[in-house]
This record gives sequence, C-alpha cells and structure tokens, in this order.
Amino acid sequence: MSRFLVAVSAAIVAAAPAMAAPVLGQPAPAFQAVDASGNTRSLSEFRGKTVVLEWTNNGCPYVQKHYNSGAMQSLQREATRDGVVWLTLISSAPGMQGYLTGPQARQWKAEAKAASTDVLLDPKGTVGRAYEAKTTPHMYVVDKAGKLVYMGGIDDKPSSDPDSLKGARNYVVAALADVKAGRPVAQAVTRPYGCSVKYGSAD
Amino acid sequence: MRFLLGVLAALAFSGLAMAQPVNTGHLTAELVPAAQGIAPGQTIHVALRQKIQKGWHTYWRNAGDSGEATKVAWTLPPGWTASDFTWPAPHRLPVGPLTNYGYENEVMLPVALTAPAAAKPGSTVSLKAAAAFLVCADICVPEDAVLTLQLPVTEGPAPADPQWGPAIQKTLAEAPKPAGLTGAFEKQGQVVKLAITGPALKGANLADAYFFPFAGTVIDHAKPQAIERGPEGLTLAITPGYDFQSPTPPKQLAGVLSVGGKAYEVTAAPGPLPAAAAGLGPPPAKLAVPAGAANLGLASAAFFALVGGLILNLMPCVFPVLAMKAASLAGHGGEQAEARRQGLAFGAGVLATFLGLAALLIALRAAGSAVGWGFQLQDPPVVAALALLMLLVALNLSGVFEMGTSLQGVGSGLASRGGLAGSFFTGALAVVVAAPCTAPFMGPALGWALIQPPAAALVVFLALAIGFAAPFVAVAFVPGLLARLPRPGAWMDIFKKALAFPMYAAVAWLVWVLTVQVGSDAVPRILGAAVLLALAAWIAGAAQRQHASGRRHVGLAAAATALGVVAVAGGAFWPAYSTATAAETSGEAKLDDEAYTPQRLAALQAEGRPVLVNYTAAWCVSCQVNDRVALSTHAVSEALKRNNAVYLKADWTKRDGAIAAELASFGRAGVPLYLVYGAKGGQPAILPSILTEGVVVKALDAAGKAS
Repeated sequence: MSRFLVAVSAAIVAAAPAMAAPVLGQPAPAFQAVDASGNTRSLSEFRGKTVVLEWTNNGCPYVQKHYNSGAMQSLQREATRDGVVWLTLISSAPGMQGYLTGPQARQWKAEAKAASTDVLLDPKGTVGRAYEAKTTPHMYVVDKAGKLVYMGGIDDKPSSDPDSLKGARNYVVAALADVKAGRPVAQAVTRPYGCSVKYGSAD
Repeated sequence: MRFLLGVLAALAFSGLAMAQPVNTGHLTAELVPAAQGIAPGQTIHVALRQKIQKGWHTYWRNAGDSGEATKVAWTLPPGWTASDFTWPAPHRLPVGPLTNYGYENEVMLPVALTAPAAAKPGSTVSLKAAAAFLVCADICVPEDAVLTLQLPVTEGPAPADPQWGPAIQKTLAEAPKPAGLTGAFEKQGQVVKLAITGPALKGANLADAYFFPFAGTVIDHAKPQAIERGPEGLTLAITPGYDFQSPTPPKQLAGVLSVGGKAYEVTAAPGPLPAAAAGLGPPPAKLAVPAGAANLGLASAAFFALVGGLILNLMPCVFPVLAMKAASLAGHGGEQAEARRQGLAFGAGVLATFLGLAALLIALRAAGSAVGWGFQLQDPPVVAALALLMLLVALNLSGVFEMGTSLQGVGSGLASRGGLAGSFFTGALAVVVAAPCTAPFMGPALGWALIQPPAAALVVFLALAIGFAAPFVAVAFVPGLLARLPRPGAWMDIFKKALAFPMYAAVAWLVWVLTVQVGSDAVPRILGAAVLLALAAWIAGAAQRQHASGRRHVGLAAAATALGVVAVAGGAFWPAYSTATAAETSGEAKLDDEAYTPQRLAALQAEGRPVLVNYTAAWCVSCQVNDRVALSTHAVSEALKRNNAVYLKADWTKRDGAIAAELASFGRAGVPLYLVYGAKGGQPAILPSILTEGVVVKALDAAGKAS
C-alpha cells in the first residue's frame, strides 16, 4: 500500500511541470488563464498594479466561512476601491468539488456579490501548481513590479467556524497596507489553511 | 443538526454507562478512560477516541498542506484539569500534489486528567468535552460533538479499565517521545539537510525514515525526503517550506522522526551537520528487492550459489588454476583410485577454503566492517603475495623447479601424501583466485547470504563450494570421463609448459591491480621481488637436479629458501604498502566517467539526467571484461551523449564502507553491479552481471526516453 503511494506520489512529483516554486521577492510566476467570460487573461497585463490572487472552491467550508459572512466580499471591495486587481482562481478539476464552468462562475460571483476583478478558471490546475496553491483559500499578493510579496493564509484563525472571524488578524489586509505605504511586507509568509485545492490528476 | 446530535447524546446519557459515543456523520467519537475511576489528587489518562469512516481521515497537530487538527474544549468541575493531547505519530496522506498528516480508521488522542485533592470519593465526576473535527476524504466536512464521561471518584487509584485501559496505555507507549536524539539542520542550496543522531538510530532500519514537523510552514510536506544513512544516525534532504524564504528563517526544526515503526520527538538547531549522520548512502531500496536478493529463500539462494559455483569454473580468473589441475589429472590419467583421492583432496581444499573465507567474512561483518565478497583482494599485501604465488606456480609449470615432490622426483610422487596435499592446496588456491570473479547467480545468492544468520550464510557458501568443486571431482570419480582424458606422453610436458602462460598473465594482472591500489611506486618493488623469486626458484631447481643426480647440495636449497622468503617479504609485506590517493588510482578510462558519490548522483538526478553507475574494482575480472567488451565502446559512448546521460564509476578496489553499503542495498555482496537511473528519477534498472553492449545501449535509451 505505502509502496503504491510512494510510486504514485513519485509519479505526481515527476509529472508536475518543471516550474520553480514561487519565491518571495522574485517575479511572480507568469500565467495565462481563461476568465468566466471566456477571455484569456494574463498576469502581465496587470503590471503596474498590485494584484491579489485568491484560490477558491465554493464547496469548501473554509471558503464558505469567508463568503457567507461577507468578509471576503468586503475585503475585495476595499482592495479594488484602492486600485488593486483581485483575481479569484478556481483550480478544481472537472468533477471535483468547486469546479465551475464560465457561466456557473459568473452566476456564483453574482450571487455571492463578490467584488473581485475577475474569476479565472484553471481546471487543469496549471496556475495552481505554478504557485503551489495548497488550500482554499490560499492568498498571494503581487506588487506593481510583478514581484511576489505575500503568500499564505488569509488570516491567523485556521478554522471553519464563522465565530473565528472575530478578532482574526487578516494577513492580506496587512500586506496590502504595507504595499500601499511602500513598506516591505512585515508578515510575508504564513501558513495557508483550508480545504486542499481539488486538483485533477497530473495528466 | 450537529447541535441536536450533541443534545441527544447528552439526553441519552443514563448515568450507568461511562461514555456516550457520538456519530458526527463521518466518524464516531467518544471519551474513554484508562482507569475505572480516579482518586483525589490522582492523574489518569482519558482518550478522545475516533472511529473514522473508511476513506476519510482527521488530522495531526500539524495537518500538513491543508486540513485542521482535531480540537477539544473541556468543561470540567472547578479544580479539575486536562492536559493537551498526546498525539500518536501521524500517517502521510497524499491528496493530489499535496500531502497531509493525519489518521485513518481509528485513533486515540489521550489527555492527562488530574483530580483536585478535594475531590470527594464516592461521588461521580462529569467531564464534558466539545470536540471539533475536520474530517476529509477528497472533500472536507467540519464535524462537532459534545462528549461526556462520568467517572467515579475512588478512595485510592482504581484498576485499569478492562475495555480501554490497554489500548490507551499502548497509544501512550507508542507515542513519539524524546529519545536523546540530537538534531542539526543547514540550508544547502535548494534543500535543507536535517541530520539526526542518537543511540536509538544506531543499527535501526532507516528505510522509511520521515520527519513530521510540528510547524506548518517549515518544510514542503509533499516533497520526498531523501535519506542518507550514517554510522550514528541519518541525514534527510528536505525541501524547505515558506519559512526559509522569510527574512528571519527558522531557528529550530522541531517535530517527530518516524523510523522503523517507531517515532521520536526531536528538536534540531541550525549548525554544522555531524559527520556521523551521513556517509553510508541511502538505505536499501525496497523496490529493488525483488530484483535483488533479500527475498530469496534459503533453498533458492543455495541453488543459485550452486549454479554460480559451477559457472565460476569457466570464469577467466579461475581458468589458469583449473588448467594446471587438468594437467595434473592428465598426468596420472587412468589410475582410478588415485584420481579419486586427488579429486577428494581438491574438493576438500575448495570446501575448507570457502568455509574459512565465509567464516572470516561473516565475523568481519559482525564486527561492523563494511566488507563484501572479494574483500581479501582489497589488501595490497594479499594482492602482492598472490602475484608472487601465481609466479611460483607459473615457474613450476615452466619446469624451472618441481613442487612439493622434489625429494621423490617427478612422476613417482603423485601417489604420495605430498600429491594429496598438493591437490588440497590447489583447491584452496583456486578459491582464493576465484574470489574476484562474481559469476552470474552468485551475486544475488551471496548478497542474500550476508544478511542472514551465520548458519544460513554458511549453507549458501557450502553450496557455492560444492558447485565450484563439482566438475573436477566428477572428472576424478566418473571412470568414463577420466578415461577420455588423453593418455600421458611427451605431449604432456609441452601442454604443461603452455599452461604456464595464463599464469604469467594472471601475475601481470595482479601487478596491475596492485599499481591501481597503491600507485606506480609498487612497480619496481613487486617486479624486483618477482625477479628475486624467479632466481630462488631457479636455484631450487638446480638443487633438485643435483639431488636427482645423487649429489646433495644443502647450501643451494637453503639459499633458494632464503631468497624466496626475502622476495615474498619484501614484495608483499614489509614495509607496508601505503594506500594511494584517489588521483593516482584513476586508471585508464576511455569513457568520460566521473567518480561516484551519492551527492553527485542526487545532483544529477535533480537535473533530470539519466545516470549509469558502474560499481567496479580493479581486482574484479568480470568487471574488467565488461568494461572492455560492453562499456568502453563507441556505441555506449554515443548512447550516453544521445541521452545526455552521465557515467559514474564507483570504485571498490580499495575498501569503502559507503560503496559496500550501497551494494548491500541492492542485495549484493560484491561487484560488479550496473545501475541505470532514469531521467525521471525513481528506482534504477539493474543490468545483468554479464554485460553486452546492446544491453547497456538499450538501458540508456530507455532511461533517456523517460524525460
């Protein structure tokens, strides 16, 4: 059994695209992805703006904690009002929890009153793997020069209990404030928490 | 709904039953006590037991890439306290490209419950715990349960709970604990090396070693941890986590080292890595075992050894000795009884020498030496002595002097005891020079033997000896075979003298081995000794001829003996050979090879390049033959280039513990061993011991295609 697992994980590791892990302070991995309206978008088109990447899965209890309470939407509103580009990514593979087609994603965004700039569809998990996105939510902040300045959890309360939002220290809010003020991000890496990203098989 | 379940559970509580299991959807949880009661001031263990639905899991204190550890909030009467969980060692749970740490099926999370001194015996304490689980399969469901436990307060310590006591004690006994392990870590390029040493790791099976960190972002949970063994511990090559990108990198790595079914707590500090935690290469490769030897039974190992022994007769290093013996058999051809005695003496010599070598080998290994088959040729004095011995045999065949039978004269001595001793000696000599030849089938059998208890190992060596001795003994015993040997005559003297030349070739080869071992300084010394020995042999021959013609020349015989002793002593034993440095031993290599180190191999694999590793030794004739006919060829060179492959040579000419350990990891006790690692990594392909160019080229192409 464990031998099988080792073989499987070895195969997965070997089959993953030969991209380097995202490195803080280095250019964020470039990517292209189709948005909910079917247009191809790329990270490079947002050069000159601060970009937030948010991995999501609408079936995940941790994501639901942030969306059902409206906390995520207000975060998105405040950020985009400040000129930040907020991209919500879905790396769930077809048939897996959280997978949405373009129309479904548009509908979900409208119903959730999400204020993100766009929802990007990554059903093959290419972008997710390039960023080594592990959980939903998993948050990244890219500065105006295209450098990765934050990666990790959304806050310091790794729980799906809505009560845990009270008194939580939101790392993304703090990172965006640091970027806006031109300071280095004080807490640049944290542990992401949530459900695992529902990647499909590596092929 | 969850709330309702909790309420129902609370309502259902009867006052007699101690615990109320709660089904939360994907698991059933309950509080279970280790003892039937608790005395005032006493501490007992109570466990949160989870029976988890098949295919689902809950999490360890560090959940890994995703997930969340099980939590509990206690509601206890005033004065009562409950400790944090004692976490059993977790399992790795891969989910796509991610890895989580947690538990499947059933798990107990014990806490230490302490009663206040003021607790009233005879009363019953009500313990309440609000437990929060994240239960996941491919999706995750948070589930909660309010669990209760009624526990009698007793005068004195209560007996163990018959149902749960043993299981909780077992959980506590097996839980990771500090075991005096010392840890150090260092970031080296893209990996963090974590070196752990301590008595608990000495001699432990390190094959499945894995470090579970307590913190969630110090390592990349999903990446494999490459293991290197050391005499006192191990070194893990770990892919660092986010924390190592932080401006303030981790000041410690704390967690659980899981190894050989046991788990230890360890805290590593930054700093230089202890040398005793590395150097013995990776642990035996589990996947390689079916191709290797460790899964052979005694019967099949003995059978392989027997066949290997038979084939050994045909190997190049044995040929001269067998030729010599064939000459002696032909020499007394026809005399049935005599031939039988000779055959038995030869067989006895083979058996005694094989078993003697085996006993020595087993004893050395038991004493911790990393030796394998052919080890006797790793000592320069032995090689030098063997070269001189071969020279003596060759000179004898050339007719310079007669051996052992000088007093009786040629021919008449064959029936004497001296002739039998000569046969015994021939058998012994055959084994000694056969050692460097690992015949097909022999490698796996000997590899298996060396990891068995001594008795089983001796059986395998015995089978090898029987196989080796069988052809000669058969010729001696079967009348038909002996009768087919040509009649003695004048041709015999010519035949014998012709057979001297393979022996001279063997001498030349051993001199070359010696120069590889100790450098070119050995050349004048060994050749000088050879000339001196030849002179001694010639004088001895002269004395024998004088004696044959009726005159005794004690002086000549004494001079010959003295010269011989000086030659052997000076050529082989005194002063001691100094071992050459690696640079001097490079030898000639037509292929572009690099010296093998585990680090170099790991680096090349990380680059995604196929690697051909040749475990070889100058004294290994099969290795040299393979090198000439199958490796140092144009086609192989092309195949290496075509596949961007690298050729690494692991030279075992001199004793090397790391290489011996690696041979053992592939179930081998000696060289040759040829491995081809694919561009995608993973387990290497093991090539046959007798190579052909086609096999090597095919393996390299297959390895390159994987990229």
